[in-house]
Amino acid sequence: MIEIQDITVKFGGVVALDQVTLKIADDVVGLIGPNGAGKTTLTNAFSGFVNVANGSITVNGTNLIDLAPHLRTRWGLARSFQKVQIVPDLSVEDHLKAVLDGKGIPASQRKGAVSKALEYVGISDIRFRKGSTLNPYQRRMTEIAKCLIGAPRIVLLDEPGGGLSESEMQHLREVITGIHPEFGAQVLLVDHDVDLIRDVCASTAVLDFGKLIAFGQTDEVLADEVVKTAYLGR
Amino acid sequence: MQLLTHKSTLVGLVALLLAVILLPMFAGALWVKVLTSAAIFALAASGVSLVYAQLGLINLAQIALIGIGGWIALRLNYGTALPVTLIVLGSGILTGLIGALFALPALRMRGLYLALVTLMVAALFQIMFNAFQFPNGGEGFWGVAQKSAASIRRPAFAETDEAYFRYVLIALGLSFALIGLHKAGRPGRAWAMTRQSEANAMAAGINVTFYKLWAFALSGLLAGIAGALLAGALGQLDARSFLAGEGILLFALAVVGGAFSWLGAVFAGLLYKLLPALFNDWGLSADIALIIFGGALMHAIMTAPHGIAGQILGAFNKEKSDD
Repeated sequence: MIEIQDITVKFGGVVALDQVTLKIADDVVGLIGPNGAGKTTLTNAFSGFVNVANGSITVNGTNLIDLAPHLRTRWGLARSFQKVQIVPDLSVEDHLKAVLDGKGIPASQRKGAVSKALEYVGISDIRFRKGSTLNPYQRRMTEIAKCLIGAPRIVLLDEPGGGLSESEMQHLREVITGIHPEFGAQVLLVDHDVDLIRDVCASTAVLDFGKLIAFGQTDEVLADEVVKTAYLGR
Repeated sequence: MQLLTHKSTLVGLVALLLAVILLPMFAGALWVKVLTSAAIFALAASGVSLVYAQLGLINLAQIALIGIGGWIALRLNYGTALPVTLIVLGSGILTGLIGALFALPALRMRGLYLALVTLMVAALFQIMFNAFQFPNGGEGFWGVAQKSAASIRRPAFAETDEAYFRYVLIALGLSFALIGLHKAGRPGRAWAMTRQSEANAMAAGINVTFYKLWAFALSGLLAGIAGALLAGALGQLDARSFLAGEGILLFALAVVGGAFSWLGAVFAGLLYKLLPALFNDWGLSADIALIIFGGALMHAIMTAPHGIAGQILGAFNKEKSDD
């Protein structure tokens, strides 16, 4: 259970997140909203990349706001970025090893952990390829594999579907829905793609101008007139 | 990747072996001295290159750290009876700690601002070296005497210039190996993730501050070892050798030589010490080297960001792919 309580983030005079309060219990939860609504700011508040003016994010009694950013990852917070972060001269395996380094996984378990994550997202065949040689889909899957290694508790996916073809999107859907059964982590999915959200998220939260305007069962939320107005500008 | 590393290691080992055996045999007395200095500055340049290539940070204070390493080595040499190799290592470690200490306030900076801060550090030590000079066997903490006949010790097995050159080359080889181990291991991965972006590194659970400091400490260690070896090579150090401007030159040559491989550091050392000596030998002004360095830096920045070493290695790789 993730409890977001009164989270407020300000950039100078702009209130990017305004006392957002949410209780997330489902395995996969969507976060949508128009551009500038505060979606990425909320994921950045999870990661510790923005200063939180007020509020807390508590998971099973641990307030993430109290931890330094890298310690949040070691605790079990994993995230992908809207702009995929793949190092050109590092192999796919080394990307995953870099995450394991900080988590203190014993050497005997490392190889197996890397294999499991790569196998799960379906890129075992490119394990030793350099980042610079990967296509956009492989880069995206490498980034997701990075999120799944080393026993994550929460996985934040920031627009993971960007630039993927329809068949690749289908694979992405399977990957996202399988994360909780396979790895035990709760997933918070930020995306513009309403179809993807509808297919994989049990519940969905909607942000607009930094405020939470709707939260509940995905179908109900997407049918909500307020959400439609905010999203489609009607 | 592993094969490439393996090959690069093999080529490096063979080159080192040949240099250790052959160079002192065929180079004359003067050139052994010049090449010893070149190898020492290659060692220091490898530290500058490490910080630049791994983290994209510009360190212009390496010359000051060489001076600090030299100062500590001279101080320990005259003040203790410790074995010389231990003094070299101790100087390196202490200089590494000092390097990390100075890097601490600079960690939030990058680019031009970090470069300026490191230049100020170099200027600070330039003044300190001028004011306090290097120990030469005198009394007291600073150990400076007006006239001193005390000579610096070299390792018992490396008393002659030829043997000392071999000693320096082995130290250079070991330093390259240390850098190679770092690049291939946990610090290398952490630096790579940080180079991509700090947010990316933090999201991977990497303690960015620690690994940045670690890079500066390792670079400082190499500078300190270089300084200690330089003191042993020259027998005495002169404050005029450690001007802040020399730090800029060393960084520029590390870029010209190629910051991304050990070969680049070797080129940097050769350009810094061998080229001016060659001009002198040919009866030309050594300052011509500075003009060449300027042109070479322009060339490196515009067309060869991986430096001379990158161009050579690139040519080899191209040949291989043509086969």
